[in-house]
Amino acid sequence: MLAILIYPLGLTIWTSVHPGTFSLQAYAELSSSTLFLKVLRSTLEITLTGTLVSLLVGYPVALHLAAQPPSRRTAYLIMVMLPFWTSILVKSFALVAVFGNQGIVNQALGFLSDGRISVPMIFNRVGVVLGMINFLLPFMILSILGSLLSQDRTLALAAATMGAGPLRIFWKITLPLSMPGVVAGVLINVTLSIGMYVTPALLGGRQDMMVANLVDFYTRQTLDWTAASATAVVLLAISSILVVLLGRVRGGGLSGASA
Amino acid sequence: MSAHPASGRPGSGFVSTAAWACYLFLLIPSLVVVPISFGNPDQIEFPPRQFSLDLYRAFFNDPSWWGSMVQSLVVAALTTLLTLVLGVPAAYALARSRLPGRQLLRGLFMMPLLVPVIVLGLGLYLQFSGWGLLDTTVGLLVAHIMMATPFVMVSVMSGLHHADAALETVASIMGASRPTIFFRVVLPQLRTAIAVGAMFAFLTSLDEVVVAYFLTGTSTMTLPVKMYSSIRWELTPVLAAVSSLLTLLSLLIALGIIALQRKAEAKA
Repeated sequence: MLAILIYPLGLTIWTSVHPGTFSLQAYAELSSSTLFLKVLRSTLEITLTGTLVSLLVGYPVALHLAAQPPSRRTAYLIMVMLPFWTSILVKSFALVAVFGNQGIVNQALGFLSDGRISVPMIFNRVGVVLGMINFLLPFMILSILGSLLSQDRTLALAAATMGAGPLRIFWKITLPLSMPGVVAGVLINVTLSIGMYVTPALLGGRQDMMVANLVDFYTRQTLDWTAASATAVVLLAISSILVVLLGRVRGGGLSGASA
Repeated sequence: MSAHPASGRPGSGFVSTAAWACYLFLLIPSLVVVPISFGNPDQIEFPPRQFSLDLYRAFFNDPSWWGSMVQSLVVAALTTLLTLVLGVPAAYALARSRLPGRQLLRGLFMMPLLVPVIVLGLGLYLQFSGWGLLDTTVGLLVAHIMMATPFVMVSVMSGLHHADAALETVASIMGASRPTIFFRVVLPQLRTAIAVGAMFAFLTSLDEVVVAYFLTGTSTMTLPVKMYSSIRWELTPVLAAVSSLLTLLSLLIALGIIALQRKAEAKA
């Protein structure tokens, strides 16, 4: 029974490192391919931007959730969990409907300005990052919330009793103690976004192709399975490193989804 | 842990404003899609100027939409069932046995969760093209069971963590056979964990697009794949109706999982 599950898994990895005959030529070609390097670069840019924004926006939300009494927190959590469970396609469609060239925002802008102002927010970098953040935020929030809730509340109370201001308590106690959640959230975000396929394909322009889209491009458009596999292996290597780092930080426990 | 933190949080006004802006941003998809779905059937319109059910009618009358939804539901249901049949005993074996290399096995089961889906998609595509499993429901099922297994394992293993292993010892001392112990002692204690795992498995399969995009063709197309190509190429307002139905389903499942987890916490 175990074999049924492990066999395809093993074969998947085997196929990706061994396309036909074993050779490293595909990697040599990749490392000198301008397309690959360009795609790798925009993948890293999009990943870092998305993660950074998601951290800056997600942290206040986690603080807000942590500050609620448990019953109300559950109600608010639904607002985070629902998007967490919403299909990425529903999100992509909705974001096109809202931010697209004929979308709600541009219709409103056009109405207010007599059709003079129209801001292209989708099929470009902004679109990808917007879609990315919408997808990544719940993971970031749940991860930070976990470490905010596990803090010993008496520490902050003690500091307040001894005369520390709220800002000081935040910088000296709350923030440092929540760092494991922050680091885990960042790593989860980076891992998820670096292999992202749907968002850049649907919300990005030609310039915003990411590594996952390149794998698809090689597979279906140019039918170059060797290049596709080599690209996939590079992606696999990067995310493996991230996963190992993540494992170190989390030490096995605390799953984001169970928060 | 349950106490209400100091009300004088740093810039609590800023925090709650930022938080609400973020909730809004997260909820945009659900908030916008539902009104559009009841509106103008000819173009995407928000706020809708008329009320109609035409988009739902269009969805259920078009076999390419309706058929792909049936396909998705069938695949998701079978995936859930088979993943439970395979995953629950496997999780039990991993949690209770002293098998050598159990850490390695656990790692292997978790791998589909950690490998980027595109890598899985490509690997399965290359593998299945040799086996003639491309564009077959069986191929897609194998892929989805693989992807859903980690969720069932995680859920069941954490359930086993709370279950009382002493009960199994007692049952075995009193002469119960191993299958009896598993079905009469272990499974009843795992009901909540299995239900949560099943919901994760179902949604994993139902939502999965990248691997399905690689593995399916016109005759086995699932709803996410159909949506993907529709967003990409035609952007029909029918998408709003589909999205609303899916959002409703997500809401029900999210509420279900929250309720089950609270029940589990209350028991613990």
